[in-house]
Amino acid sequence: MKPARFAYTAPDTVEGTLDALDRFGDEAKVLSGGQSLVPMMNFRLARPEVIVDIGRVGGLDGMSAANGTLTVGARVIHARLEVPAVTTPDGRREPLGGVLGSLLPEVARFVGHLPIRVRGTFGGSIAHADPAAEWCILARTLDAEMVALRRGGERAIPAADFFETVFTTALAPEELLVAVRLPILGDDWRAGFCEFSRRAGDFAVVAGMTAVRLEPATGAIAEARVGVGGVAGVPVRLGGAEATLVGETPGAELHAAAAETAAGEVDPVGDLHGSAAYRRDLVRAMVARALAQGAGASG
Amino acid sequence: MSWVGRSIRRVEDPALLCGAGTFVGDIGGAASARFVRSPVASGLVRAVRGPAYTIADLDADEVGNIEAVLHRPDYVRLAQPLLARERVRYVGEPVAVVVGATAAEAEDLAEQVELDIEPLPAAVGLEAALAPGAPLVHPSESESNVMVAGEMATPGLAEALEGAHAIVELEITSGRQAALPLEARGSHAVTERFGGRTTLHASIQAPHMIRTVICDLLGMPEADLRVVAPDVGGAFGQKLPLAREDAVVVWLSRRLGRPVAWIEDRSENLMASWHSREQRYRLRAGFDASAHLEALQADVAANVGAWPCYPITWGVEPLMALAELPGPYTLEHYGVRSRGVASHTCPMSPYRGVSRPVITLALERLMDIAAARLGVDPVEIRRRNLQSDFPHTSPTGLRHDEGTYREAMEQAVSHVDLGAFRARQHAARAAGGPQPGIGICTFSERTGYGTPAFAARAMGVTPGYENVELSMDPSGYVTLRIGASPHGQGLETALSQIVADEVGTDPGRVRVVASDTDRTPYGWGSFASRAMVLAGGATYLAAQKLASQLGSLAAEVLEAAADDIVLADGRATVAGTSVGVEVAELARIAHHHTQRLPAGATPGLSAQAGYDPAGTFSNACHVAEVDVDPDTGGVSMRRFVVVEDAGRLINPMIADGQIRGGVAQGIANALLEEVVYDDDGNILTTSLMDYLPPTVAEIPDIEILHLETVSDATVTGAKGLGEGGTIGAPAAVLNAVNDALAHLGVELNEMPATPERVRAAVRAAAGRSPAGENDRSTQEAPVR
Ligand SMILES: Cc1cc2nc3c(=O)[nH]c(=O)nc-3n(C[C@H](O)[C@H](O)[C@H](O)COP(=O)(O)OP(=O)(O)OC[C@H]3O[C@@H](n4cnc5c(N)ncnc54)[C@H](O)[C@@H]3O)c2cc1C
Repeated sequence: MKPARFAYTAPDTVEGTLDALDRFGDEAKVLSGGQSLVPMMNFRLARPEVIVDIGRVGGLDGMSAANGTLTVGARVIHARLEVPAVTTPDGRREPLGGVLGSLLPEVARFVGHLPIRVRGTFGGSIAHADPAAEWCILARTLDAEMVALRRGGERAIPAADFFETVFTTALAPEELLVAVRLPILGDDWRAGFCEFSRRAGDFAVVAGMTAVRLEPATGAIAEARVGVGGVAGVPVRLGGAEATLVGETPGAELHAAAAETAAGEVDPVGDLHGSAAYRRDLVRAMVARALAQGAGASG
Repeated sequence: MSWVGRSIRRVEDPALLCGAGTFVGDIGGAASARFVRSPVASGLVRAVRGPAYTIADLDADEVGNIEAVLHRPDYVRLAQPLLARERVRYVGEPVAVVVGATAAEAEDLAEQVELDIEPLPAAVGLEAALAPGAPLVHPSESESNVMVAGEMATPGLAEALEGAHAIVELEITSGRQAALPLEARGSHAVTERFGGRTTLHASIQAPHMIRTVICDLLGMPEADLRVVAPDVGGAFGQKLPLAREDAVVVWLSRRLGRPVAWIEDRSENLMASWHSREQRYRLRAGFDASAHLEALQADVAANVGAWPCYPITWGVEPLMALAELPGPYTLEHYGVRSRGVASHTCPMSPYRGVSRPVITLALERLMDIAAARLGVDPVEIRRRNLQSDFPHTSPTGLRHDEGTYREAMEQAVSHVDLGAFRARQHAARAAGGPQPGIGICTFSERTGYGTPAFAARAMGVTPGYENVELSMDPSGYVTLRIGASPHGQGLETALSQIVADEVGTDPGRVRVVASDTDRTPYGWGSFASRAMVLAGGATYLAAQKLASQLGSLAAEVLEAAADDIVLADGRATVAGTSVGVEVAELARIAHHHTQRLPAGATPGLSAQAGYDPAGTFSNACHVAEVDVDPDTGGVSMRRFVVVEDAGRLINPMIADGQIRGGVAQGIANALLEEVVYDDDGNILTTSLMDYLPPTVAEIPDIEILHLETVSDATVTGAKGLGEGGTIGAPAAVLNAVNDALAHLGVELNEMPATPERVRAAVRAAAGRSPAGENDRSTQEAPVR
């Protein structure tokens, strides 16, 4: 339960961080809130030779909104998403509106416990890439973009490409995740999130998120996103369930049908906390409930 | 005014709450020992390479083997080495030990040790270990994995079953659990450079007994080992048996001539400390037409792991089940076979409640199932079967003193308002969604085990009595030295209340010294539900002796008759007068003016007493209310009610704390906590992400009501209650889960009732195929 030996550096700037990452390559690990990395080091499941602590780097903990997109700095702690607020170009802070503004708090409260939510960071969760992490499911479901910097370059990685497998992302060892871009979702969207965990604050056994855009004229579903975590090495989108929803009018029967499709199209691997069959049952329940929650929120 | 019966604040708490406690890990100044543990469940050790000490080093020093013995013909005797010799028998078994300057360095060193082990087939679960041809855990000593087997039957059992109006059959199983003290185990040994005396600080429950066994193993006189249990962060039975590691730490400190400490980490604790309660009961019960339980036949098997524990042995779970299964009911005919089955898994120790949580689960599920079968209400079937004539002698010869089995149940049921609950349940069944359920559990808790109770077990050593020494110093303060070893229970506070009443002082003027073999009389420590009965009884008797010494002295000083002296509020007064003297002044006289003592009186003020009763039964009724989500199998606790009768309550707040903690552990056992091995014997639950104790969010408020039947079985009138919460809660919760889903035809008799098991039971009841085909349960229940 004590980490193997490591060297430690704590740069003050993004540039300094990128230099360190460049120098040490895959011997280095970024330390953000430490809520995943430190336990893994204590178990000696992670043995980085160099820790690059970004706790002193300024400018990574902002939240801003522009052109229908919310940009969340990598070092924004989970707790701030329980009451999401953005800084306007003229430096004022105002509550985040839109469907995303009400969805984020719904999701944030499921992330660990309060002491974890005030230390752990949004970017840390995304970079850690636990397949049941709420923020990873959200990023995948809403097609977020991850902004990565390396010495002399920046790129935006779509969620579909970012999560590769368990605890593995498209980030190169030299890259620093600096921000995540999320669609704010206009008033024509309905979003819901539901998860089942063994105890309060545990990682989800299965969690489901849904977001549907309604045709203003007909009330029919024009666009649908169904994402689940806890059934594969990465959070997954369920195209079958999405197709079931598109073109139809929301309602208990449609939700049940989409949930049934969802349960049928996942191919979970069983483990200690749930067999494949059980996880499939949970997918059905979580998707149905997330859809119902989204529909309820509209009324 | 009496101090006994008042909820005074615990003297133990300020230091603990301010982070000023001293646990083994706080002592410091020692090198760190780290154990290199077997990565396989079964295998032959070919070689150990690297910077480690092994059994060869212990052998060279002629260190002995642990012999945990029951003197029974059906018991397999073994000699257990302190580190694995030739064979490893479970994942986590200590094979070698390294010593580093820091814990991190010791972990680095441990990584360098190479274990060359030839893996062998392992017997992991109960069925696997019992199967014909199963790999044997101790092939040289036994031809099967059955290590202890008890059997008994009352005459007429077979006829009674044959003639029964209804037979109810039932199999219940309990998953393997870990006691999970907040502080894991640990030890710290320092050997004096001259004279060679060793002081061991260890996180343990029974310092004197541990001193004896370590000295026996290392061949040293007990006078040369001081054992201290400093603050102990929970134990629950897991710190009662000898930890092999603690003995090795003493050996290391003597061999290396430097202080050595071992602080167990959470993974080690979950993997290689003691487990408990992996049991299976098959019951066949005969009821008459009016739902009286007449005859019960049971087959009990307990998976007791790879080694016995010293001194309780691995007989403790199966043999307790054998003796105590009839519980609080009046059945006449009883037959049982109960076996302890070795397997390639972590050994077992007693855990709060020992077998009784499972015994109670078996009986209370039986009562509910029989009630449904016979068309009787669950309350009514218990009413008809609970003991009400006392003393009651059970079919296994246990004598139950007076209790309030029925009264406790009636009070619990009226407190929860069963009628209102049923109305709410009816509405929820119609509406779908989460389903409310209620579960009742009535049980007895055998407490205050003294020597007679332990002697019946025929252990290699017989625990039992408790001794105390009480003295008053010249300032009039009282020091109480006890052989019991409290570790968080609040015993110091409660004993000071008993002393205060007898010698007419304030509990604030009483100091309790415990848990240090240099400073306390030999005793058995704190385990089972016995400290208040045993140490409390001995304290009461010693305090009476001290009071009588003070009375004689006051009589002399006040020139009155000793019988007329009243001790109260720090004064000795002649009854009916205002003539008196301060107790503190008497204390001065007894030490500093002994010329004023009666001729022949011993100078000073001190008394000692021992106490060793036969034992007594507490009783309680637990009622659990749950909500069960049929779609996910998730169970949430809504309400928990306890009506407890533990005789006279010395400090009701402390009693309530014991009940609350126990109930929380019982709920954890019922729903969450389970040690899981794969088929090869790899343990899968080695962190708190996988072994799931409840958080405060999973435990409801626990409502507690008391009955106080003062028993003549103990001198203080107090009965034990330390284990009751843990004993009753699992059955109450499982009965509630079953009640919630009864309309779906669910029967679930396995704990923990994990969401997956509950969901599987819902599916099984629906008779539908698994994994998404034609399952309509989601559609039936409106989504939230
Ligand atoms: C008891 C407990 C319960 C928890 N429950 C939940 C839960 O229910 N849901 C949940 O989602 N999480 C849970 N967590 C994890 C928690 O949310 C972590 O905060 C999160 O996973 C990681 O964020 P962090 O800032 O702590 O990152 P760290 O632990 O510091 O880092 C995690 C990983 O991300 C990398 N990394 C971090 N920041 C960057 C960056 N900017 N660029 C590149 N790489 C980076 C690190 O190198 C490391 O590999 C729990 C944790 C604990 C201890």
